[in-house]
Amino acid sequence: MKKFLLALSIPLIFSACSKNNKQVINASGSTTVLPVISTAAEQFMKTHSDVKIIVNAGGSGVGINQVGAQQIEIGMISRNITEKETSQYPKTKFTITPIGRDAVVPVVSSEIYDAGIRSLSINQLAKIYRGEISNWKELNGPDKEILVIDKEAARGTRHVFMEIVLGDKEAQAAGADLVLGANNEEQTAIVQSDAALGILSNAWMNKDVKGLAIIMENGEVIEPTLENIVNGKFPIIRDLDLVTNGEPTGITKEFIDYILSDEGQKIVIKNEYVSIAK
Amino acid sequence: MSRKLQNIAFKTFVCIAATISIGVLLFLITVLFWKGFSAISFEFLISDSSNFGSEGGIAYQIIGSVLLTACAAIISFPLALGFAIYKSEYIKNSYLQNLTDTVIYSLNGIPSIIFGIFGLIFFVNLLQTGVSWFVGGIILAIMILPTIILSSYQSINSIPNSYRENAFGLGLTKWQVVKTVIFPRAVNGGFTGLLLGLARAIGETAPIMFIATAFSGVTIPNGLFEPVRSLPTHILSLAQQATNPSALENAWGTSLVLILLVFVFSISAFVRRLQYSKNKQ
Amino acid sequence: MSASQNNIGKCYVLVSTYLSIAIVAIIFVVLFLSSYDAFANIGWDLFSLEWNPSKDKFGILSMIYGTVSVTFIALGISVPLGILTAIFISEIIPEKYRLYIKSAIELLAGIPSIIYGLIGIAFFSAWVSSFFELPTGRTILTAGILLSIMILPTIVTLIEDALHNIPKKYREASKGLGLYQFETITKTLLPIAKKDIAGAVLLALGRALGETMAVMLLIGSIDRIPEPFYNVLNPGQTMTSKLGREIGESAFGSLHFSTLNAIGFLLFLIVITVTIITQLYFKKERRL
Repeated sequence: MKKFLLALSIPLIFSACSKNNKQVINASGSTTVLPVISTAAEQFMKTHSDVKIIVNAGGSGVGINQVGAQQIEIGMISRNITEKETSQYPKTKFTITPIGRDAVVPVVSSEIYDAGIRSLSINQLAKIYRGEISNWKELNGPDKEILVIDKEAARGTRHVFMEIVLGDKEAQAAGADLVLGANNEEQTAIVQSDAALGILSNAWMNKDVKGLAIIMENGEVIEPTLENIVNGKFPIIRDLDLVTNGEPTGITKEFIDYILSDEGQKIVIKNEYVSIAK
Repeated sequence: MSRKLQNIAFKTFVCIAATISIGVLLFLITVLFWKGFSAISFEFLISDSSNFGSEGGIAYQIIGSVLLTACAAIISFPLALGFAIYKSEYIKNSYLQNLTDTVIYSLNGIPSIIFGIFGLIFFVNLLQTGVSWFVGGIILAIMILPTIILSSYQSINSIPNSYRENAFGLGLTKWQVVKTVIFPRAVNGGFTGLLLGLARAIGETAPIMFIATAFSGVTIPNGLFEPVRSLPTHILSLAQQATNPSALENAWGTSLVLILLVFVFSISAFVRRLQYSKNKQ
Repeated sequence: MSASQNNIGKCYVLVSTYLSIAIVAIIFVVLFLSSYDAFANIGWDLFSLEWNPSKDKFGILSMIYGTVSVTFIALGISVPLGILTAIFISEIIPEKYRLYIKSAIELLAGIPSIIYGLIGIAFFSAWVSSFFELPTGRTILTAGILLSIMILPTIVTLIEDALHNIPKKYREASKGLGLYQFETITKTLLPIAKKDIAGAVLLALGRALGETMAVMLLIGSIDRIPEPFYNVLNPGQTMTSKLGREIGESAFGSLHFSTLNAIGFLLFLIVITVTIITQLYFKKERRL
C-alpha cells in the first residue's frame, strides 16, 4: 500500500523538481490557424531547445478571451476582434499580426457536387441560411433536403462568412440544422451526410468535401482557387492572425518572426493557405 | 390466456430483453477490443502524436493521464480517510451526521461538467493559475472524494464496537485506538474506494478539458502550472474527425488503452472487495 | 506525547472533514455568485427561446427541453430493459453464472463517456440516419439511445442486487402456493423490490441529466425545440452540451459567461435535489 503511494508520488516529485527554466509560450484559438502554428512550433522547438510552445484549440473566441484575460501569450484568430470583446478587456492592448490568408468556402457533400451543384450566389447562400430555401431541387439539384451546417457563434469561419452572406457577422441562421465547432468536426458531418452544406476554411476540402464557386452579382463565377484568393477575387477571404497583448517581445516575438520568415511561410503554404509574403 | 402460456410468454420476453442488453454491451466491448487491437503497437504507445493526433502515438497522453490521476489520488486519499474516521469515530450528534451524509451524496451527484466549470472559474480565472494539470488533479480529487470516503467508512463501520471498548479498557487513548484499530481498516477500505475512484477519474473528459489539458507542444510538464495532454481529451479531438480513417484508427487505439487502464483499476477493486467478503465469512 | 498525538490526530480528521464540507460549500457559492448576474439581469427571460449572446438574448428553454427529452428517452429505454435483464440474471439463469455476468456488466459501467461518444459518432449516428432516412444522424433520439446504453449497466446492477437480496423463502412460499415463476416475480418480488428499483432509477436519472461528452458530440447542438416538439428525430441541445461547447468561448465576467454558469447552477440544483431525494429514500436501509 505504502509502496503504491510512493510509486504514485515519484512522477509528481519528478515533474515538480525538474523545473529547468524553459521558457513557455502558450498559444490557443482558431482551429483554422492551428495546423500552421502547431507545425511551426514543432520546427521552432527543434532549433530552440530552451523553449516550449504549448498549443491549444477552441476557436477564435477562446483565443481572444484568453489573451484578453492574459492567460496566454498568443491567440490564434481567423476573424476580427469584435468591439464587445475589446471592451471586455480594457487592460489588454490587443495587437494583431497577420500570418497568412485564407478563403471561407461554402462546401457540400460530394453527392451534391456530383449531382451538378457547382456554384451558388451570395443571395442563394443567404436564403439557405435564413431557411427560405430548404431543398436542393430549388437550386436545380437532387430532391433532397439541405442539411445546413452552422458553426458555433464565436468561430472565425462563421463571422467572416455571415458578415458577407447575411450582412452581420453575428446574424442568427434560422435555416441551420446542426451547429458544430472545429473544422474537423464539420468536415466529418459533411462526409457522413449526402446532402450537406457547410462553411469551411479552404484548407479543409478533400474528395468528399467539395468547395463551391461563388456567383457574383455580375454573373461571374469565381472558383475558390489559391489564385483567386491571392488576387482577392474570391469574395469571402480573411487574414489569419496572431493576437498578442501589446507588441510581442522576447521569445514570443522570435517565434512570430519565425512564422513570418520564408521558412515559416512555407509552413503556411504547405497547409494550403496563402502566404502573406508577396 | 392460460397462466402457463403467460409464464412462457413472460420468460421469453425476459430472455429477449436480456439478449438485447447483453448483446449491446457485448457489441461495445467487441468493437473496442477488435478495433483497438489492430491500432495498437509498441510504437503507438511510445511515440508522440502529430497532425491533429491522426498520426503517431499517444506517449504523452498516457503520461498526462497518469499524472492527473496520481495527483488526484495523493490529494484525495488522506482527505477521505480523515473524513471517514471523523464521521465514524468522532461525530456524535445526528445533525452533523446528516450534514456529512448530504455532503458526500451531493459531491457524488454533481455532474462532471460542473466540476470543470467550477475549476475554470475558481482556479483558472479567480486564482489565475492558468490551464494546469495540477488544478486538473485537484478537481479530479474532489470528484472521487465521496467514493473513497464511503468505501473507507463502510469498512470502519463494520468493526464491532467491542473491539473499541476492549482497547479503551486497556487504557489506550482515543487516538491510540484510532491509530491501531480504526486506521488500518480505514486505509484498507479506502484503498478499494480509491481504485474505483481512479477508474472513474482517468476516463473523465468534461472536468479537465477546460482546465488541465492542451492540444500539442506539451511533453512532460516543467512545473505544477502547466497543461498536459490526456487520453480522454485526445479521443475527443479524434472523434471529431471520425471520417478520417487514420484518425479513427488512432481513436480506437487510444480508447482501448484508456479502457485497459480503467479495467486495471476497477478489476483490482473488485478483487479486493471479493477477498474482503471472503475474509469476513 | 500521547496527549499531543491525540490532538494532532483529532486535528487531522477534523480538518479533513471540514475541508471537504467547505469544498462543497465553495462550489455552491462560486457557482451561485458567478451566475448571479444572469439571474439579476435576465430574470425570467431566461426561460425563453432565443439564444443570441451578441444581442444579449439568453433564453435557455430549448436546452432544458433537450435535457428533459434526452433523459426521458434514455430512461424510457433503459428502465424496462434494465428491469427485465435484472430479472433474467437474478431469477432465470443458474446461480453459478450470475457472478460472472454481473461482474462483466459492472465493468462496463466504467467505460468512460467519451468512448461512448466515439462509438456514437462512428456507428450510431450513421445507423440512425440511414434507418430513419434522415439528413443527419445527430439527433435527440441518437443521443437518448446512446445515453440509455450508458446508464443500462448501473440500472441492471442495482436492480439485480435488490432482487437477489430478497430472501429465498418468498420464492419458496409462492411456489408452494402453486404460483408460476412469472407470478412470483411480478406479484411478490417486484413489489418487494419496488423501493430499490425507484432508487436505481433516480440514480440513473442523476447520471443521465449530467452526462456531457457523448451527448455533446451526438446531439447536433442547435438551440431549438423541434416542431412538433415530440419529433426527436431532429437535432437539439442539452444544458450540458451547451456548457461543453460554449463555456470556453465566453469571456470571464461577461453576461454570456454568467448565463452559462446559471445553466450549470440550475443543473447542479436539479441533480442535487434528485440525489438528496435518493438519499432520503434509502435512509432506512443504510447502516450509517
